[in-house]
Amino acid sequence: MAITTDPVAINHWIACGWPGKVPVGGYWDTVLLGQNIRVSRPQPDIYEAAILTAGALGRRLPVQSRFCCIFTTLGQDPRPLPQIDEFDEPDRRLINCGSVGVNTSPYRMIENFLDMAHFPFVHTNILGAEKKTEVVSHKIEHRKDVDEIWATDCRFFQPAASKAATGGQMTDYTYRVMSPFSIMLYKNVHNDPGRNDAICMFVQPKGEAQCLAYMPMALVDDVNTTAAIIDFQQTIFLQDRVILENQRPALMPLAPAAEIPTKADVGSVTFRRWLKQMGISFGIYEKAAA
Amino acid sequence: MQINDQVEADRWVGVALDSQIQSASSHPVILNGRELALWRGESGPARVWDDRCPHRGMRLSFGFVRGNTLRCLYHGWTYGENGHCEAIPAHPDLAPPKTICASTHGTAAKYGIIWVNLSATRAAHVPDLPNQPGWLPVRSVHLRASAPQVLDGIAEFDYGEPARTSMPAQNACVVVLGSDTQLFFALQPIGLDKTGLHVVVNESGEPQIPRRQRLARQVARLRDTIEAGGGGVWPSPRTL
Repeated sequence: MAITTDPVAINHWIACGWPGKVPVGGYWDTVLLGQNIRVSRPQPDIYEAAILTAGALGRRLPVQSRFCCIFTTLGQDPRPLPQIDEFDEPDRRLINCGSVGVNTSPYRMIENFLDMAHFPFVHTNILGAEKKTEVVSHKIEHRKDVDEIWATDCRFFQPAASKAATGGQMTDYTYRVMSPFSIMLYKNVHNDPGRNDAICMFVQPKGEAQCLAYMPMALVDDVNTTAAIIDFQQTIFLQDRVILENQRPALMPLAPAAEIPTKADVGSVTFRRWLKQMGISFGIYEKAAA
Repeated sequence: MQINDQVEADRWVGVALDSQIQSASSHPVILNGRELALWRGESGPARVWDDRCPHRGMRLSFGFVRGNTLRCLYHGWTYGENGHCEAIPAHPDLAPPKTICASTHGTAAKYGIIWVNLSATRAAHVPDLPNQPGWLPVRSVHLRASAPQVLDGIAEFDYGEPARTSMPAQNACVVVLGSDTQLFFALQPIGLDKTGLHVVVNESGEPQIPRRQRLARQVARLRDTIEAGGGGVWPSPRTL
């Protein structure tokens, strides 16, 4: 696999591991945008990364440890990591669900995370039910000051919205696409709207259609065990993976006629337009066809 | 942009035994590398469509059947037998625009085999076979061999009795054994080194079940013989 030549894709901080993956004093080798890299951990809280060429260590890469993940970048001028205040609130539980491999384009994963209409069919009787499938209109905006896409006023009926839920409810969602490779949501699983659960997905694109997904969460939940929460999240994600690995093509098509959206896809339409405007080509279908 | 925009030859290719496609089911089929969904409603004939939902490209072979509609597993978009989208669950009150349509292909059931024609013209006919009271399913097999290699293998195979082989069409082959057994082979080119073979036999006075069991075992032996190398270098399973 060769490193991408796409300057747009390269200039991001990208998750490349989580603490459980890298033993203290050890390392783990992985791939970022086609480039082999080594992530090592000389001390418990110190991570390093470097390019790996034919088994030999090359250029050192910058590293940040944030949101329960390890981030690095191959670019010279990366977009900064987003600000997510919930991870700094002292009483929140920060839970990392490890990483899950998914063979598709990173943008298919972001788009699926942003989508409510699939809940009744893919997460049947958990995040949605076949009797209540409607997606009511919600607000989508490209916030130019932060260059993020926000979806607000999202509501969906959920039989079991989280591990902490005790019955069916209308759940309020806010979505936030923070980069082509990262997205998060806030959902009100509690009565206090100021204490929404924050759930992120950081995608590590190994190749154009080979990804790892990291899903750190900052939750308000003093009842459930960490294992039960992770189990819930992985159940959901593995249901998504069946879909994600069976979309055709795996690469994201950006031509308007390639795939037909409906009103519920306004978030996806905005996301695709944003990708097109930024001129990203890594993981995009049309370049492959050209 | 069309995802599948290659020009397809005007010909009918057998892709499954009709008896194996149960009602209310959907299956993946590959023809010359093109991914197709073969499905049947709760009643009626089987249909072959491109294996992708026009909405978000999800494979329709993962879909589920309600009545005589095929519904996409991802968002439940509902397609009628003519391919038109009839319902979008995210907007229950919306009548889907007529432009939303699955990519459908000519499909026919004949001789107990499901045939598909991917061309837009569909002027060709399903291969003609000798007049028979009826055809009964034997079995389908997949072979690690090209379609021409499979045809050669069928002609050269030792059936244990005198055999006469003829080819009523490019992807079809008839083998006559003795006085009252006619085997019909429909070839499905899957990829360069992979071929599906769908086999039926004429009705006869012989007890049907033991006869078809015996023939099914012969078809498996035919597959093994062809895969063992009727000439040429065979790719190992690992490299496929």
